[in-house]
Amino acid sequence: MNTIEVCNLRRVYKTGIGVIRRKVKEVVAVEDISFDVQPGELFGLLGPNGAGKTTTVKMLTTLLIPTSGTARILGMDIVKGAREIQAQIGFVFGGERGLYWRLSGYDNLRYFSSLYLVDPEVAQKRIPYLLEMVGLEERGQEKVEGYSRGMKQRLHVARTLLHDPTVLFLDEPTMGLDPVGARELRQVIRNLQSEKKTILLTTHYMFEADSLCQRIAVIDKGRIIALDTPEGLKGHVRDLSVIEFEVYGVPSGILEKLRAQPYVDTVSVENRDQKQALLIHSPRGSEAVPDLLKSMDGLRVGNVVVREPTLEDAYVRLVGGKV
Amino acid sequence: MSLRTIRLYARAMFLAFEMTLRQNFTDMFVLFGIFVQPLIIALLAFWMLQERGSDYIIFVVVGSGMTGLWTTVLFSSGSNITRERWTGTLELLVGAPVPIQVVIFGKNLADVLQSLGSMLLSYTLAILIFGQIPEIIQPELFAVSLMIAVISYVCFGLIVSPVFVMNPNVQRLQNGLEFPIYILSGFLFPIALLPNWTTPLSYILAPYWAARALHATSSGGADFKEIALTWGMMILFSLVYLIASGKLFKTLLYKARVEASLLRQ
Repeated sequence: MNTIEVCNLRRVYKTGIGVIRRKVKEVVAVEDISFDVQPGELFGLLGPNGAGKTTTVKMLTTLLIPTSGTARILGMDIVKGAREIQAQIGFVFGGERGLYWRLSGYDNLRYFSSLYLVDPEVAQKRIPYLLEMVGLEERGQEKVEGYSRGMKQRLHVARTLLHDPTVLFLDEPTMGLDPVGARELRQVIRNLQSEKKTILLTTHYMFEADSLCQRIAVIDKGRIIALDTPEGLKGHVRDLSVIEFEVYGVPSGILEKLRAQPYVDTVSVENRDQKQALLIHSPRGSEAVPDLLKSMDGLRVGNVVVREPTLEDAYVRLVGGKV
Repeated sequence: MSLRTIRLYARAMFLAFEMTLRQNFTDMFVLFGIFVQPLIIALLAFWMLQERGSDYIIFVVVGSGMTGLWTTVLFSSGSNITRERWTGTLELLVGAPVPIQVVIFGKNLADVLQSLGSMLLSYTLAILIFGQIPEIIQPELFAVSLMIAVISYVCFGLIVSPVFVMNPNVQRLQNGLEFPIYILSGFLFPIALLPNWTTPLSYILAPYWAARALHATSSGGADFKEIALTWGMMILFSLVYLIASGKLFKTLLYKARVEASLLRQ
């Protein structure tokens, strides 16, 4: 049996527009998605902001009711079996909220252990163990308001492990963390994976998904547009090379002109401080560089690099080069 | 439900109680409602009623203490769910196996017990102003009345909180709800002074029966039958509130999961 089974899940949000003649606007956040997660698997949901990742996780963690479709966690329906599911899952949402800032980290964990019906004797042993696991053993007695963002995020991870859940939902857990904090947290996730926990991780960091996940579903505009292993996803761009042009400003019309070239697959722009990087996928590789330069019509160009595609490039191609 | 589950629910309630108490003691708004406001009301009442004999001292002590109780239920307990939503912890409470009513009951209990400090403060103030210890005529019956009153206030809070969340327009009237209950419940003067048509309104309020029980047992002059009636009414209303709150919480949580309103940005 799969640990997570999602079948044609759909979620629509309704929002009101206007003051006097109020109209209801429907926004489709998740549109007919289906996937399975096997026991002990670390499964990634990868997609840009607003793609529907968090909505999916909130439905699977019983916090939102789907508009249609079904999902089962450990064989239990997410709507009918919500209470039973809650005892067996843990979840972390990105950000600093969701903790009692005027209480210590230790007291936060003590309180949440009671909400997850952990026996006090078990909690007494487990809380120091978890604080040590997330590197907060020396700060556990301090109030959370004095914690850094990374510390709060690690406390969230400890909180979610209090009742030793079988399934974990980690929604952008490294969002907003500094590189060191993010690396530490990724190591914690790897350790959880080695404990055979089933983990559903959402992220928009490609390297994170690449380095942690066994399979990845790429989600965009509420739909799953690809589902494969990281290597399998990279296969989508194996026939292409990535040409990076360092440029200083991208005039309007230039992207359309480049996209119109027959040997160009996708074009995207990345901001890098004062400069931009034009990322062009092309099967011609370095041979395409002179022609591309001609098409740029005197655009000021710095370094030019031709490299093998990464998962990020595969992702850019899948979501249509809009990154 | 197994004995183990009941024990673990009780622990969750106790920890909700403990954590709320610890957080409230660092919240200036809550401390103002518990200590400063009832103190001002007590001072004014002592000053206005000092000509009316020594039995009014205990009446004012109890009455001003009850204003503190109601203010706490209205503002602190009434906002318990809203506050969790603003801090982003409501999703965690709803996503936990313990029913949220258990947690809110613990939080309300902390609010109400803490607000009893206002009664103690008024008592101390009376000693300082009048130089004598105000006498509680029937201390044992007063203690029982206080215990039942606390439970009825906690249960009343279980209604107020989800009603406020589901009807933000009602919560906007929070300030306006404070004084009418003081008056209709007879905290500081008997409801006999009010027009007759208001009496039925008083009768459907647990705070009215609590005020009647506490005033009767502290100032004296009531027989046991009358006191027992007030206890019965408080217990009855507590049960009604508990049953109604179960339905309210169920509706609230379902609505929140449909409308995605567990979290406010």
